Amino acid sequence: MTGRKNNRIRGHVDALATGFKYLAEPNRMTLNYPDESMNLKDNYRGFFAVKDKTCIGCSLCEIVCPPKAISMLDLTDAGGKKKKRPMIDWGLCIFCYFCVDICPTDAFQTSQVHDKAFYSETEYQTVHGEPMQYPYDYSKRPDYKEIYESFHDVAPDDPSAGSKKVVPKFDKKRGIKYEHPGQP
Amino acid sequence: MIQILSLLVSVSLLSFIEYILPPILYIIVFPGLIVVLLMLFFMIWLERKVAAKTQLRFGPLYVSKRFGGVIQTVADLIRFSFQEFIIPAGADVFAYIQAPGLLMAFGLLPLIFIPVGPYYANIFPANYSLLIVIPLIIITPIYVILLGWASDNKFSFVGSIREAFLVISYEIPLILSILSMILLYGSVNAINGVSFQIGRGIPGIVLNPIAAFLFLVVMIRTTGRFPFEISEAESEVVMGPYTEYSALFFGIGMSLPYIELYSFSLLFSVLFLGGWWPIVPSAAAASGVVGGLLLPGLVVFIKALIVMAFLVFLRAVYPRYRIDQAITVGWDQALYLGFAAVALSIALVWSGLV
Ligand code: SF4
Ligand code: SF4
Repeated sequence: MTGRKNNRIRGHVDALATGFKYLAEPNRMTLNYPDESMNLKDNYRGFFAVKDKTCIGCSLCEIVCPPKAISMLDLTDAGGKKKKRPMIDWGLCIFCYFCVDICPTDAFQTSQVHDKAFYSETEYQTVHGEPMQYPYDYSKRPDYKEIYESFHDVAPDDPSAGSKKVVPKFDKKRGIKYEHPGQP
Repeated sequence: MIQILSLLVSVSLLSFIEYILPPILYIIVFPGLIVVLLMLFFMIWLERKVAAKTQLRFGPLYVSKRFGGVIQTVADLIRFSFQEFIIPAGADVFAYIQAPGLLMAFGLLPLIFIPVGPYYANIFPANYSLLIVIPLIIITPIYVILLGWASDNKFSFVGSIREAFLVISYEIPLILSILSMILLYGSVNAINGVSFQIGRGIPGIVLNPIAAFLFLVVMIRTTGRFPFEISEAESEVVMGPYTEYSALFFGIGMSLPYIELYSFSLLFSVLFLGGWWPIVPSAAAASGVVGGLLLPGLVVFIKALIVMAFLVFLRAVYPRYRIDQAITVGWDQALYLGFAAVALSIALVWSGLV
């Protein structure tokens, strides 16, 4: 073993041979992203929104959030009632889902959408799954169904819209391999 | 009257084609500027693509997806052309502006003195071609050092000092390796060298493999390919001597190693790979532009392309030497190999084996 370690020429030849091997038989690990995207597992943690009807404004999600991505807004609804609702800043969120887990009323609508593109930093801050506007117009808030749909027909600015879905598989010889579920 | 005039015109046209066109063709088209530009586009793309493929990535892809991103480098050129050219406040303005131009000029000059076909002897004085090429190749790094000195930036300065150290440690091996081939061929005329190889039927790389290997190593060093990409090491000194440059001047800094690579590879294929063998033009064909310059030139060019492709492939395989390791190799192993190459040549000539 030490003999081989000290043998410089052997080392150079080995390195070149390995390089040529990979050149002749490319084994790509990189996903060709906007053309192909990964088929995500069911419990993948993507964007989420709070359902207005279910939330009781307890602020637990604000307290538990590690990067302080959630801040509670004081809103007034049509009947003049004061409410606290969480505003989520996607610039800070690390998708740990602590907020989803701690919520006592299960008010979070979760999704697997993770590749949304934002055009400006004001779009980062969302209430009820919509970009925050100042002052907040409570009557225009989306209801549960709209939040659900905005997640599930993929957003028009999603770069991976229309891409081929692939599944990563472990392969003994090549490491990671991507398979198209449609093909055998 | 008209007949005489038309005769005069045709004669002058003929002499124009015969005496003026070939040098222009040589300098502007092949192996000169136009081919250099195309080669640059292709080589930079190939380097990125090959390195990416070997390292399990995709490489350039998005500009012209169907052709594997082959015009990515053209897009880069357009970007460089429209960038702002900034002169740092503390820079030595005269040297800062002048150095890239001189660098480009001296990078391109060796191309004129490397014969790519027997017709070369008719258009340029070929008798001392190797004696002119060596100093021209060696002088180029001086301007890289000037570049770093003029920029007034510590990264540029460190980069140019590294370049200076490396230049002096690999200059002597380069000269020794070419010297051994000159001894072997008995001439400083590269055309005689090629006819020597064709006449014996043995390429120089077989005659003196030590010199060929040494030349290859020095070629990797001078053109800054891996593992000798030390003066421009991006993770250590940003971009080395070119750190402060922007716009087209940076483009010059980026493309210069490839131009050097091109002239070195042409020289390598002339000296070691049998030049224009297997095309052996007869005396009559050698006096024509097509048979004496273009066809043999194409063979030399293809050989040079293969050498270049191998050298850019090294980027995918090697890490970077530390500066002290590289200098040690230069003054230690490379120098001994140089002496061994010269000794081998002398032995071959004395024993009368070739
Ligand atoms: S997922 Fe984690 S980081 Fe994001 S808002 Fe919820 S608690 Fe905060
Ligand atoms: S933890 Fe749930 S109920 Fe409490 S404020 Fe957050 S979303 Fe509303």
